[in-house]
Amino acid sequence: MKKIGFVILAILLVSQLWAQENPVAIKNARILTVTHGVIEKGHLLIHKGKITDIGTDIQIPAAAQILEAEGMLITPGLIDSHSHLGLGPSGGITEDNEASNPVTPQLRIIDSIHPEGVPPHKYSFQHALSEGVTTIIARPGSGNVIGGQSAALKLLGKTVDDMILVFPCDMKMAMGRKGYGAKGMMPVTKMGTAYLVRQAMLDAKDYQRSWDKYELDKKKTPATKPPKRDLKNEAMAKVLTRELPVHIHASPVDDIMTALRLGDEFSFFKLSIGHGDESYKIADELAKRGVVVVVGPQMIVFDDEGNLVNLADYLVRHGVEVNIMTDADVVQQEFLRFQAALAVKYGMDPGEALKAITINPAKLIGMENRIGSIEKGKDADLVIFDGDPFDIETQVLKVFINGTVVFQSDKGKEK
Amino acid sequence: MSRILKCCLTVVIGIMVNITVSVTFTAGAETKTKTLVIKADHILTISQGELSPGMILIENGKIREIGKSISAEIPDDTPVIDVTQAESWVTPGLIEAHTILGTSSRYSGFNSDETSNPNTAQLLIIDGINPFDKRIKNTRMAGITAALIAPGRQNVIGGQPAVLKLKGKTVTDMTLLSPAGVKFSLGEGPKNTYGSKGRLPSTRMGSAYVMRKALIDAQEYAQKQADFLKQQKTDTKKKKNEQQQTQAAPPKRNLQMEPLTKLLNQELTAFIECYRADDIMTALRIIDEFKLKAVLVGCTEGYRVSDEIAKREIPVIVSPFGMGPRRMETKDLRIDTSAVLAEAGVKVIIKSDEVLGMGSLRELPLHAALAVKGGLDRNSALRAITINAAEVLGVAHRIGSLEKGKDADLVIFNGRPLHYRTRVDYVIIDGQVVFKRKSPQS
Repeated sequence: MKKIGFVILAILLVSQLWAQENPVAIKNARILTVTHGVIEKGHLLIHKGKITDIGTDIQIPAAAQILEAEGMLITPGLIDSHSHLGLGPSGGITEDNEASNPVTPQLRIIDSIHPEGVPPHKYSFQHALSEGVTTIIARPGSGNVIGGQSAALKLLGKTVDDMILVFPCDMKMAMGRKGYGAKGMMPVTKMGTAYLVRQAMLDAKDYQRSWDKYELDKKKTPATKPPKRDLKNEAMAKVLTRELPVHIHASPVDDIMTALRLGDEFSFFKLSIGHGDESYKIADELAKRGVVVVVGPQMIVFDDEGNLVNLADYLVRHGVEVNIMTDADVVQQEFLRFQAALAVKYGMDPGEALKAITINPAKLIGMENRIGSIEKGKDADLVIFDGDPFDIETQVLKVFINGTVVFQSDKGKEK
Repeated sequence: MSRILKCCLTVVIGIMVNITVSVTFTAGAETKTKTLVIKADHILTISQGELSPGMILIENGKIREIGKSISAEIPDDTPVIDVTQAESWVTPGLIEAHTILGTSSRYSGFNSDETSNPNTAQLLIIDGINPFDKRIKNTRMAGITAALIAPGRQNVIGGQPAVLKLKGKTVTDMTLLSPAGVKFSLGEGPKNTYGSKGRLPSTRMGSAYVMRKALIDAQEYAQKQADFLKQQKTDTKKKKNEQQQTQAAPPKRNLQMEPLTKLLNQELTAFIECYRADDIMTALRIIDEFKLKAVLVGCTEGYRVSDEIAKREIPVIVSPFGMGPRRMETKDLRIDTSAVLAEAGVKVIIKSDEVLGMGSLRELPLHAALAVKGGLDRNSALRAITINAAEVLGVAHRIGSLEKGKDADLVIFNGRPLHYRTRVDYVIIDGQVVFKRKSPQS
């Protein structure tokens, strides 16, 4: 955070120095694999961007570059499950809400992202890297009922195209009242919001039908003209056919239930709820549907009696899978591990909290076979800490993406 | 005639109320001495080192005795909070040195910036605080027992802040000190607020001008008042001598000028919110020009001019740590700002970012932990949220450290106060337990 220029220079230099010709072995670290427990004094072998071996007794090739990590701790690269970074500043006109129409499923978040970030959040991705965040889910804002298509990005690359891990990774929707009432447009009410989603789904159904009919007709009469392409319906058709997961921003309990009703009606694929400040009130409804809640930036809420509710912990204890996020730039991305630390402070099991910023978001975007845990064959996205990853005073020493060192602190450089 | 009668009545009723109140008060104090004893593994007095283990005897809301043991006789029926079984740490109640807590709510919107004029020195923050705001209770539960509640950063001169304890059902009950100073703001706040309306100040120079103009006007106002008093004195003398009936009318009272004149004679402190190094320097120039007793709030780029701040001995309330959205004027924030300032000899106070998650006011100790991560030593970080804050807010004779005679405002933690997993078990304000954690799970 402190020496921006230096960090960037370091990233550039280091990534070239470490160009992966030879394997790299990290030795004697405490490895939090996330999926297979903790390995004390474990070794890791990285080659060609992948984790090629892991354990306490592994073959280390003679050509391998050795990284002694005694007393250090390794986790998978952290995944921020909800981000708006690279999209221009909060307030004023931002790049994440196309405020001209409440239904914009045709928009793609990748067309708004500046890979370096935009002032005052320039270097925001570097800041995120410096605290161990290696993958983010970038989504349109919640100003629209249907905001557009989200993307999962790795924080490595000069262009957004280089950074893409999954695109599109879901369709972003948002319940509740929007700002359109002031313009004399629907939705003025929450009912209006729900209606617009239903109408968009029905339109997509008709559109899909016309294409299905065309495919059939074409077989009989090859000269049949195709229907006119419509980018809006084309995007929603992917939701309809369960090709694209759905993520819905909803905080009050009524909005969450509306999201669940819509999910039931149209059998949304891998429905997840964003924020869910009141989700604890209907944890059973979420659990029985297997709906994931992406908790944050508010980690702690107070119930109607004034008791503290540790959202992520409460949900996990009641059978709901959670992700933890920053909603950057609402909370800055580099504070992701501290968002999880707050959940731990108020009683969440640290292992569960770590899952919520690693393997769980990986599952949400269907990338659990590549990222989110330290396993043989997975991408070498790793973070080396000098202690408990949730402790405020703990420093990040080194961060790898695809086996490339993308950050190292002054202290990490000595190692 | 009727007006005179009314006046008399008011005076009589006033006296009666006073008598009643004072009588009840004395009677209560005589018949019932409220005591409480606390025994803990570690007591961080802040001003007089650490007691491990230690005891505190509280009597009628004040600390009567504190030490390894208590020499005073403790009545048998005195309630005891004995937390020596747990790894317990006691600190003074934490102090948030600058916040808009209690001034805004979901239903009433923001009440901290009277944006009808860039100079609203006449406003009192206590007239905009809702003691029943749920955030006050939620903040208190986390060990924050007092706060400087101040106008926001949109006006160049926002009004008069107050130090409140986070306990009480009326703002009068809560108030420890009001006014506690005058709030100023330089940089983006006023520039954006008034620039967008096509009004002064739409530039940084404009803000500085508004501030200087107000202070110069206040100097003239103060002079007029002084002249009048002088004149009155000589008039009275003349009257005696010459039996004349010349009485000049007193100058009209001006509520906007009054607090500013108190700044000029250093009766009140100027809290100046500024972030960029150039804005900090503007603040220092004006402090020099008018010889103000001042505190800088924000001071994000303080690391760039730490020597300038240090040589003037101006304390700094450091913010933000960058948890929340950045503005152009806070984009160059650094985590070591507090450490750099402290190193230069500046008295450092840490305030919360007041954003969601990690940055919420409740997590003030974690803000201090971030400063430690940035190089500040732990003791200074603790002082930065207790005694240093009390000193610059002008309430150190009452709160900020655990000492004999001070208010019994304290927090019992279940571990080291700045560690991220540490929870607050008890919060005590004026010797009264205002929060007790129900169970280890809650």
